[in-house]
Amino acid sequence: MQASARKRRIVTSIRNRASAIAIFIIVIAVWQFVSGNEIIPRFLLPPPSAIVQEFFRSNVGWPDQIGATLREILFGFFFGTMGGLALAIMITESSLLRKTLLPYIVMTEALPKIAIAPLIYILLGFNDISRVIMVVLLSFFPIVLSTSTGLVDVDKNLVYLLKTLGAGEWQVFYKVRLPNATPNLFIGLRLGALGAVVGAVISEFVSSTTGLGFLIINAQNTFDTALAFAAFTLLGLLSLTLYGSIELAAYLLMPWYRKK
Amino acid sequence: MVQEEVAMTTSLVSLKNVSKNYETLTGEIIEAIKNVSFELYQGEVLGLVGPSGCGKSTILKMISGVETPSTGTIDQQKEEGENFIVGFIFQDSSLMRWRSVYDNIKLPLEVMGKKNVEKIAELIKTVNLTGFERAYPIELSGGMQRRVAIARALVHEPSVLLMDEPFTGVDEITKEILQTELNFVIRKLNVTAVLVTHDIEEAVFLADRVLVISDRPGTILQEVTVPLPKMREPVLRSEKKYLDCCVTIRERLNLLHPLRTRET
Repeated sequence: MQASARKRRIVTSIRNRASAIAIFIIVIAVWQFVSGNEIIPRFLLPPPSAIVQEFFRSNVGWPDQIGATLREILFGFFFGTMGGLALAIMITESSLLRKTLLPYIVMTEALPKIAIAPLIYILLGFNDISRVIMVVLLSFFPIVLSTSTGLVDVDKNLVYLLKTLGAGEWQVFYKVRLPNATPNLFIGLRLGALGAVVGAVISEFVSSTTGLGFLIINAQNTFDTALAFAAFTLLGLLSLTLYGSIELAAYLLMPWYRKK
Repeated sequence: MVQEEVAMTTSLVSLKNVSKNYETLTGEIIEAIKNVSFELYQGEVLGLVGPSGCGKSTILKMISGVETPSTGTIDQQKEEGENFIVGFIFQDSSLMRWRSVYDNIKLPLEVMGKKNVEKIAELIKTVNLTGFERAYPIELSGGMQRRVAIARALVHEPSVLLMDEPFTGVDEITKEILQTELNFVIRKLNVTAVLVTHDIEEAVFLADRVLVISDRPGTILQEVTVPLPKMREPVLRSEKKYLDCCVTIRERLNLLHPLRTRET
């Protein structure tokens, strides 16, 4: 019975993957045909083969470009996560802090980041710190919002149970509120990671001499669309890797959640 | 037998003229219970039966010490050097979904800093959950989740077990099985318990005494003694004594009155 269920799961999984791969191959083939035969001009939409060739261009220095963007994403995402978590805890544990901080958090999120990027560079200089701050600004909000929801939205009976056993607020926090918020935290992390990638690209658009964002803006200025598409592809892969790593961490850390 | 009688005369919790008022969000004062007095004796199971919203759960909260009465007093008898600790079974199981069966049951011991983890295995066996120690609540049936909640409520050997409509939402067949199992566990461990329910059959099957509570503000209408042995088998449900008790409570709650039945 169990073996047949496992077999069914494997077959479903292969079927799902096979259909995704098949769609990918079809899209690439149509794209190659349309662009390779100049149905759409190559300078507007370069064919996939030309994009792949870009990865072998020696003058781009792909490892350095990827490394620069990845560094900004990881540092910014780390600080965004830490800050987001701290803010989520503060606004749920203290009504005074919630009333004081929440308007500023909401206003920060509502500001168009591309518009405030130049201001940050003027204030803090054209350096890595400014770039990391841009990433933090784009990644922390979903973490604050989703984690604080998980910290508040707990089974009241559990809190009550702990109190009848003589537990203090700290025990209620780390035994009930924090584990209850873990799935929400991971939702925030997934959204925050994608925000971090966008933040890194914006920061490189505004001021940088390296990174995938810099390559894109540079390629647009020189009409080198194949290079821009190659950078897009790598950004997409970076986002997927980051997102997949968080999914994997959630899968490993929350066995009780994946069994849902 | 003599020991049992002595235990039944030792009052563990004593409520004297207890009333509880709540203030609603609109500022209105709601009188939840009014002048409630009763004794809870060592080793007995006391049932509180009444309609929804009559303040039964409020009485449990006050016995647990989390809420205080507006007027009146609640005295809890503590053994020297011991704290008055309650075990709680809620309407829904209220298990921690991120903890396994074993770790859910362990929770009270962790909070209280107790080390007697051997009690967990013992209780898992008593509530028929052997083999499911590492399972998560999501993997268990509703009935099994209730069993985990029962074990969790007893693991720290509470002074009093408080049960707030413990089998709400469980299908009738499973409910009767769980009631028989719960009765077996609490009698075997000689637990003192308060059972709040609006299920008359459940109260009579599990309790030694039943207090019938009126509509809000809740007051005690009648005390009904259940003349059944402590260890109860499902076959008792068709016995005259059992059925008579159910009828007495129903009559007192006016549920047999035709107009009342039509209104509800």
